[in-house]
Amino acid sequence: MDEQPTPAPVIEPGYTFGTVTDKISSIVLTRPTSNGWFLGFGVAFLVTMGLLYAIGYLFLKGVGIWGVNIPVGWGFAIVNFVWWIGIGHAGTLISAILLLLRQSWRNSINRFAEAMTLFAVACAGMFPVLHLGRPWLAYWLFPYPNTMNVWPPLVLSVHTVVSFDFAIGQVPGWHTTIFPPYFVAGAIYSGFAMVLMLAIPIRKFYGLEDFITERHLNNSAKVMLATGLIVAYGYGIEAFMGWYGGNRYDAFLLWNRLHGPYSFFYYMLLLCNIGIPQVLWIKRLRTSPFWLFLISGVVLVGMWLERFIIVVVSLQRDFLTSSWGMYYPTRWDWMTFIGTIGFFLACMFLFLRVLPMISIFEMRTLLPEAEVKE
Amino acid sequence: MSALLWKPEDLLAPPIVKVYQRRFLIAGVVASVIVIIGGFFQPRVFFRGYLISFMDWLGVALGSMVILMLRHLTKGGWGMIIRRIQGAAMRTIPLMTVFFIPLIFGARYLYIWTQPDKVSDPHLRKHLEEVSSYLSLKGFVLRALVYFAIWNLLSYLLTKWSKEQDTPPVRDNSQRFKVLSGPGIILYGFTISFAAIDWVMSLDPSWFSTIYPLIILIGEVLSAFCFAIVVERVLFNYRPMSELLKPEYVHDHGKFMLTFIMVWAYFSFSQWLIIWAGDLPEEISFYLRRINGGWGWVAIALVLFHFAMPFILLLSRPFKRDITRLVWLAVWMLFMRYVDLFWLAEANFSETFTVTWADIAVPIAMGCLWLAYFCRNLSSMPLVPAYDSFASEVLEPAHEHSV
Amino acid sequence: MKHTPVYGLMAEFDNPEAVVHAARKTYEAGYKKIDAYSPFPIEALSEAIGFHYNFVPLVVLIGGILGGLSGFALQYWIHVINYPVVVGGRPLNSWPAFIVVTFEMTILFAGISAVFGMLALNGLPMPYHPVFNVPRFALASKDRFFLIVFSSDPRYNALETRRFLESFSPRSISEVPS
Repeated sequence: MDEQPTPAPVIEPGYTFGTVTDKISSIVLTRPTSNGWFLGFGVAFLVTMGLLYAIGYLFLKGVGIWGVNIPVGWGFAIVNFVWWIGIGHAGTLISAILLLLRQSWRNSINRFAEAMTLFAVACAGMFPVLHLGRPWLAYWLFPYPNTMNVWPPLVLSVHTVVSFDFAIGQVPGWHTTIFPPYFVAGAIYSGFAMVLMLAIPIRKFYGLEDFITERHLNNSAKVMLATGLIVAYGYGIEAFMGWYGGNRYDAFLLWNRLHGPYSFFYYMLLLCNIGIPQVLWIKRLRTSPFWLFLISGVVLVGMWLERFIIVVVSLQRDFLTSSWGMYYPTRWDWMTFIGTIGFFLACMFLFLRVLPMISIFEMRTLLPEAEVKE
Repeated sequence: MSALLWKPEDLLAPPIVKVYQRRFLIAGVVASVIVIIGGFFQPRVFFRGYLISFMDWLGVALGSMVILMLRHLTKGGWGMIIRRIQGAAMRTIPLMTVFFIPLIFGARYLYIWTQPDKVSDPHLRKHLEEVSSYLSLKGFVLRALVYFAIWNLLSYLLTKWSKEQDTPPVRDNSQRFKVLSGPGIILYGFTISFAAIDWVMSLDPSWFSTIYPLIILIGEVLSAFCFAIVVERVLFNYRPMSELLKPEYVHDHGKFMLTFIMVWAYFSFSQWLIIWAGDLPEEISFYLRRINGGWGWVAIALVLFHFAMPFILLLSRPFKRDITRLVWLAVWMLFMRYVDLFWLAEANFSETFTVTWADIAVPIAMGCLWLAYFCRNLSSMPLVPAYDSFASEVLEPAHEHSV
Repeated sequence: MKHTPVYGLMAEFDNPEAVVHAARKTYEAGYKKIDAYSPFPIEALSEAIGFHYNFVPLVVLIGGILGGLSGFALQYWIHVINYPVVVGGRPLNSWPAFIVVTFEMTILFAGISAVFGMLALNGLPMPYHPVFNVPRFALASKDRFFLIVFSSDPRYNALETRRFLESFSPRSISEVPS
């Protein structure tokens, strides 16, 4: 139920129940598959093959081909796992929280974000299995069957649980109570960045500007700005407590982030996650597909770096100086990471081709004639 | 047009509010006199109760402000109907500013960091020296000045622009509100976090938790929402609220209440699980104090009656839609908010469960004065800004929408 | 026609207001066995045909409670009975840590109950339904709204009911063979 007198349209005027239906379903049912689709899917598919190659070699040789070792026993696999799970969160926010706030603009990006969530979670799900060292026992990890309607509350809590995985330990940089909400906010942040990175080209190539309007770009950018600020709050309060709390290991962690061997990445992280996204305060950039696309890319990089900093920098130098070390990812780490991006994109291409990417019935409810006045 | 549907004078709060104002004022003055006399004899006890009471009533005022700003950003009839109730609660911030002043003088009874020489534990003494640039009376006062300046400014602007919408012509101030509310919410989050550290967390300067300010923050928002529900119920007996309040809005209010209760539980549980699992001496001391010496019963009561019971009740749709039933839960939650703050703060002062006379009397005295001021604010402006271009959504007679 | 059993009479409308109005009047006229179909959910419509409560929330509640209990029981059994290992000096029954999985299982079971409860209470999957015998009914998933009065309704009368439905000036009225 939409209570508000709509200021800017969430759907351009002139559509009827019939034309909405035809416009969305024609992409799947009647329009021929474009060469661009074949090209895009082809490239994504090749990258997926690279992923399979990397996984095959991993199963043959074991996790020794990766850069993980003591003290950094959690490397790219966990970084990527957390990053992908986070991206999956956009679906949750759009399904649950925006519904609560009665934001009707969610309808046209809802289906799309949910599909994205599913694929992102599939990418994420691979990593714990690959990280096991004993992949033939992977089924030990899967107690859940899954159905579509189950995941919204589940995913929201999943990221909390992921954060607990870190926070219940005692490693400085992991053991901090803000982690659960801060992980969820970061997740939604990267999730919306991914939604925009996908929605902007898609609305252009499939001519869906009438359904995914400027208002959607604007609102998604605002959500990004808001969650980005929550993330910044997390960094800030963590740094403050590092000083205020008087725990010397926490204080050292802060020093190590700022001046240690990975400090370049920490500054990049601050730039990508906090600095650059502040340009979203400018409305012109929030509604410009080009700039929004670029900024979303920056945010995705920043959020990946955040996970890298949390996982690697915390482990790299903890309590005992004698057990400090460095972490260098190998080509197999990179191949696996990039491979999952290919897999994700390949799934998205298939989704676009075989399923209506916008929920048709929800779009019908947005039309003025759908309102029942008595 | 909305202006034709309702005349602004018909939208004023019912005269009964004035009666309440007078009664609260009398009760507040009487109670204050008693409490102040008590305070002269037992200043230490007095200020402990005073701090908890201050945090509780401040929460309603600030929480109202933040919900108001959230509404300006997201719109929706649920917020328009309680907008002026929350506005009136927000405009008590000047009063809360005055109420803060005694805390400056009471700081030496409350905060151990004001007298580092009296600390016997050498570790704590060393730590206090390290953070003395933050935890000092001067810093305490200066920071409080900044917080209150920001809160008063936000409240002033939000009120000013809202007032413009009581007189013709019909105007759309939503753009201005939006421009203020975005940064306003950020400022609130920032200031309340440090206020929570300064005023409550630093009661035990050796302990820290990064999520703690958020627990205080969400508690304020929850208090404010429950308070708005209670006021809307009282007004529902009279025109105009009796005609404006629709079950859909009440349903939304119930949903928000459920959400905030869940977020509170989520933050509180996260803090507990992480600290319990880490089991570090400097952190776990917080919970050891709060689950031993009788405080454990309060903790269990919080789990059951600040979370479980309201959670189960609010799952029911008919319950959420019925203001006459929802209001009782809102009243209960306002009480539980106090219990939560009491548990967080009072356990610092006493190892065994204790309720002093000040813990009961000061909140009542301060509350009556606060409510009197609130009633004055409430009757000074119409309950809905008739000339807001978005007011029609609540002023129009009931109609149905598609989903 | 006379020899095929009739399932009901179906009226077709081209806008939601018309179907809600017709449904309400039909219900008020004493027809209780009626149903309506629309290309998107209309809250007013379910109220109009006298559909107020369903049992999905109850099913979800029971599912959630079962999920929570089984989640906790599973962990308790593993950690205390089947394979007790002391981790970091914590008690075997480390219930604070168990809450996370208990919660997840509650949500999971509640969600699954919601899906399957909804399907079961709707009688799905349903391989045959008479309304599809009317060719125009395919439009119900595009832009048309249908109201049906079942022949099992005690007040149903082929002629009178048809005349009654015609009073709403629908786009068409079809007799649905069962």
